[in-house]
Amino acid sequence: MAPDTSDAAQPAFLATYLAGLPRPEHGHPGPARSVREADVDGHRIVIATSYEITVDGRPLDVHIGLSNDGSAHCHGLPAYQLPSLVDLVRVLVHTFPDEFPPPTTGHDDEAGPDTDHDTHDHAHHDHTAHDHTAHDHSEPDGGR
Amino acid sequence: MAVVRRDILRDDAARAAYIHGVRLLKHEPSSLTTGSFGIPGPSRPVYTYDLFVIWHVLAMNTAVPPGGDAGVRNAAHRGPVFLPWHRVLLRWLEAHLQRVLDDPAFGLPYWNWAADGSPAGPGGVANPAASPLWRNTPDGFGGQGAPVRGGAFAFRAADPTSFRVRIAANSSGALRQVTERGLVRRFGQSAPFGSPRLPRTADVASCFDPKADPSVTDYDRDPFDVSSHGLRNRLEGFVGPGLHNQVHLWVGGDMAPASSPNDPVFFVHHCNVDRIWEGWMRRNGRRYAPDMTAPDSLLGHRIDDPLVSPFAPADKPDTPRGVLDSTAVNSYDVLP
Ligand SMILES: [Cu+2]
Repeated sequence: MAPDTSDAAQPAFLATYLAGLPRPEHGHPGPARSVREADVDGHRIVIATSYEITVDGRPLDVHIGLSNDGSAHCHGLPAYQLPSLVDLVRVLVHTFPDEFPPPTTGHDDEAGPDTDHDTHDHAHHDHTAHDHTAHDHSEPDGGR
Repeated sequence: MAVVRRDILRDDAARAAYIHGVRLLKHEPSSLTTGSFGIPGPSRPVYTYDLFVIWHVLAMNTAVPPGGDAGVRNAAHRGPVFLPWHRVLLRWLEAHLQRVLDDPAFGLPYWNWAADGSPAGPGGVANPAASPLWRNTPDGFGGQGAPVRGGAFAFRAADPTSFRVRIAANSSGALRQVTERGLVRRFGQSAPFGSPRLPRTADVASCFDPKADPSVTDYDRDPFDVSSHGLRNRLEGFVGPGLHNQVHLWVGGDMAPASSPNDPVFFVHHCNVDRIWEGWMRRNGRRYAPDMTAPDSLLGHRIDDPLVSPFAPADKPDTPRGVLDSTAVNSYDVLP
């Protein structure tokens, strides 16, 4: 039976709409760039900033924007606007541990996601406690 | 008849119905698969609940105006459409919940987080992690964890009916599949990773107090971005005490990335944000800015610009003006 894409009450309607939205471009080759613009006394100010960020020697491929007050943000963390770019990258590494494999061993243990970790020891980031893809076996999703 | 949105901390029936409806949507096939949305990896079914995750991620990656920088303003955040766009998102979720619950009178509950963020009495200390919202019972949200192990959204590896995160956003804000993991929450992390506290009642009151900040009688002000004065940016949380942003930061885990609707608390959080907006409009009128005289650089944020939302018929798009008064569709039991 074909799903009903004309009835707004049915999930196929929203699904079809979303599937038709333009796909955002990701991946910005080369150094990240931020352009800030402002006006003063009828003059136009343009400040273009390029920065190269590496984590464990690997380039960080993320679009970071600077606001006119100097604070930094990125698409990956919509609710964060931080005065320090260093802190922003620290939050990225902490929030997306599976994108930043541990530099020493290169391989994680087989810990599943049931690696709870109730003491919030953020200064000493425990990779295994946050890694959700270490066991990323290619089974179909169980939630059917 | 307008449905009534109630306080999830005080209304056990509304909380139980919301949880039940979310679990139904989480297992209802949407008819499309991950490939239809350009999500890399093997093709897997996409379920109705997860459409809302995709929608949020796509909207916040959509630069408005087209060709602009989604990091300056996007179709969901960092500008005037923050409140109207999320109002539309909530309305769609509420409609789908009404459908699967077979209850046209169901109103999305709101989480009055300032009640949990405020001390119970003078000299007391707030303990938001102890809120009844996070009860580990089948009608509770469960508390923090990696993964969350209690409540209705607990992860049990062997139980395919237990709550799973299937689609998330990566550090670039792009959609990706995740396999077999549960929801993650990390309450009250310290800065810069999170926020050790939730907003308080007095923080919410600052949205209505022109003595503290005269700009709060305006909806939004030039330059209409994260540096703006006015209600929208104070409530979104880039200026002032933090409000909306601070709640994402306090909950942490899956509430931090662009895929934050993965945590069912997202919708009851945003329902409260919408309620505060409604409370502001009760005092200040159904006013919005910018109007259509604003330059093209604000296209997508002006009062009659289409929002990134589905609509029918196609010639009558949702706009900020069109959603300013939704009292015919829903109302709140109490406005702040
Ligand atoms: Cu939010």
